[in-house]
Amino acid sequence: MPSEPVVHLLPAFLDLPFREGYVRSIIYVSLYVSGIAVILSTLFSIPVALVMGFTDFPGKQFAKSIINTGMGFPSVVVGLLVLFIVSNQGPLGSLELIFTTEAMIISQFVLATPPITAISMAAISGVDADVRGAARVLGGTRVDVALVTIKEARYGIATAILAGFGRAISEVGSVLIVGGNITGADGVSKTRTLTTAIQLEARQGRYETAMVLGAVLVVLVLLVNAVVVRIGDEGVMRG
Amino acid sequence: MSETAAGGTGRRREAPSGDAPIVDATEVSVTFEGQAVLEGLSLAVEPGEVVAVIGPSGVGKTTLLQVLALSVEPDAGRVSVDGVDAWAAEEAERLALRRRVGMVFQSASLFDASVARNVEYGLRVRRSWRERLEASLRSALRPPALSSRVREALSVVGMAGQADQSARSLSGGEAQRVSFARALAYDPDVLLLDEPTSDLDPRNTAVIEDAMAEARERGIGVVVATHDMHQAERVADRVAVLLGTDVAEVGETSRVFSQPSDERTRKFISGELVY
Repeated sequence: MPSEPVVHLLPAFLDLPFREGYVRSIIYVSLYVSGIAVILSTLFSIPVALVMGFTDFPGKQFAKSIINTGMGFPSVVVGLLVLFIVSNQGPLGSLELIFTTEAMIISQFVLATPPITAISMAAISGVDADVRGAARVLGGTRVDVALVTIKEARYGIATAILAGFGRAISEVGSVLIVGGNITGADGVSKTRTLTTAIQLEARQGRYETAMVLGAVLVVLVLLVNAVVVRIGDEGVMRG
Repeated sequence: MSETAAGGTGRRREAPSGDAPIVDATEVSVTFEGQAVLEGLSLAVEPGEVVAVIGPSGVGKTTLLQVLALSVEPDAGRVSVDGVDAWAAEEAERLALRRRVGMVFQSASLFDASVARNVEYGLRVRRSWRERLEASLRSALRPPALSSRVREALSVVGMAGQADQSARSLSGGEAQRVSFARALAYDPDVLLLDEPTSDLDPRNTAVIEDAMAEARERGIGVVVATHDMHQAERVADRVAVLLGTDVAEVGETSRVFSQPSDERTRKFISGELVY
C-alpha cells in the first residue's frame, strides 16, 4: 500500500520482470516517444519564437493567445483530436498510425509545442536589443543574429525544453487514447509508457510496482534535467 | 596596467579610395512614429579623422550613428560607403558595406561568452559556414590559440591578459574596452562610437580615448557621439553640432569651439538653452 515504508518497495523493485525486458521496453518507449516529440517541438518552436519575438505582423496577439491557450489544453482532448485524425476515417487514416508510437509522438508534439514556444518566446524577447544590434552591426547576417539570440537565451530555452519534456513524459490521457497501452505477447511494450503502465498497475492493485515505476519516471526526468542544464552551462564559455 | 593603451602595432592602412569620404550621409531624413528625428542632415567622414558629434541628450546622435552603420534605413537621402549608395545596393552588397563599419554602443552589449569569443565575433561571421564548422570541430578537440588580430585588438585597450575571462565578470569599464576591441578586431574602415565613455571613470576613459587615437593613426575614420565637449576638444579633428534635427555646424574642432559660426552652436557651447 502507498502508506507502507519505502523499504517494503524493495521486493517489488526486485520482482520487476527486468529479464523479460518489460520495464526496459516501457522506459525505452517513454523516452523514444517523448524525446522525438520534444525534439520536433523544439525544432518547430524556436524559429516560431524568433519570428514572434522579433517581428510585428497582423494577428500576432491572436497567435500569442493561441499559444498561451495551448499550454493549458487538456491532454485527453488532444488525444481525442489526434485519434480522430489518425483513425481509419480520419485524414491520416490511410497511414494506419492508430495505436502506434508515431501517433503518440503526434499527440505529445501537440502538447509540448505550446509551452516550448511560449517560454522560448519570453526568453528570446528578453535578450537585450543592443546585444542583437551588436551582432548585426558587427557584420552578422540574420542567421548569425538569430544564433546569437538563441545562445543568449539558452537558459530560458533549456527551461522551455524541460517544461515541454516534463509535460510530454508525464502525460497519460492522450497516449492512452492514441497509443492503446499495448504490450506484445512476449510482454514487451509496444505503446505502453511509464505513465500508462503506472496507471494500469495501480488500477490492478499492484501499488508497489506502480510506485517503483513512478520512481523510475522521476529519476528519468531528473537525469534529463541535469543533462540539459549541463549542456547550457558548457555553452557559456564557448559562446 | 602592464600593457599600455593604444599599444597596438600602429600599422597604417591604405585609405580605401584616396581622401574621399569613407562614409557619406547626404540630406538624410529619419522619422520614428511620425516624429522627425533627422531632417536633411549631411555628414561625411574621411579616413583617418576623428569626428565628434555633439548635441543635447535625445537629439538624435544615436540615430545618426545607426544611419551611418546602415542599421537604420533613412526615409530620404543617401548613405554611401566608399562611394557606393548602400540603400540602392542589393542586400548582399549592403552586408559587405556594413561589414566595413564597426560600432561601439553606449552599453558594452557583450555576448555571454569569453572576452576572446566576443572580440573574434566579427572575424568569425566573415568566414564561410564551412570554415566556421571546421574551426568549431578543431576547437572541440583542442582549445584554439588566440588569433593575432584578437590579441592585437585586445592589446590596444589593455585587455590582452583577460582573453579567457567571462565577459559577464568584467567591470563596466573593462566591458566597454572589450567592446571597443571587438569593433576594432576586424579592421573596419570606419568606427562609430556611441557615447563610449559616458559611464566610465577617468582611467577607462583615457584608455578609450587612446584607442581612438590608435584607430585614427591606422587610417580608420572615427565618429564619436558625445555630450562631453571637453572630450570632443581632446579627441576630434572636426566637430559636428547636432541641434534640433540637423547638423547646425560642422568644422575644425578648435574653430567651432572658439569661433562658432552658428548662433545656436555658440549658445549650446556656452551652456545656454538652445531650444
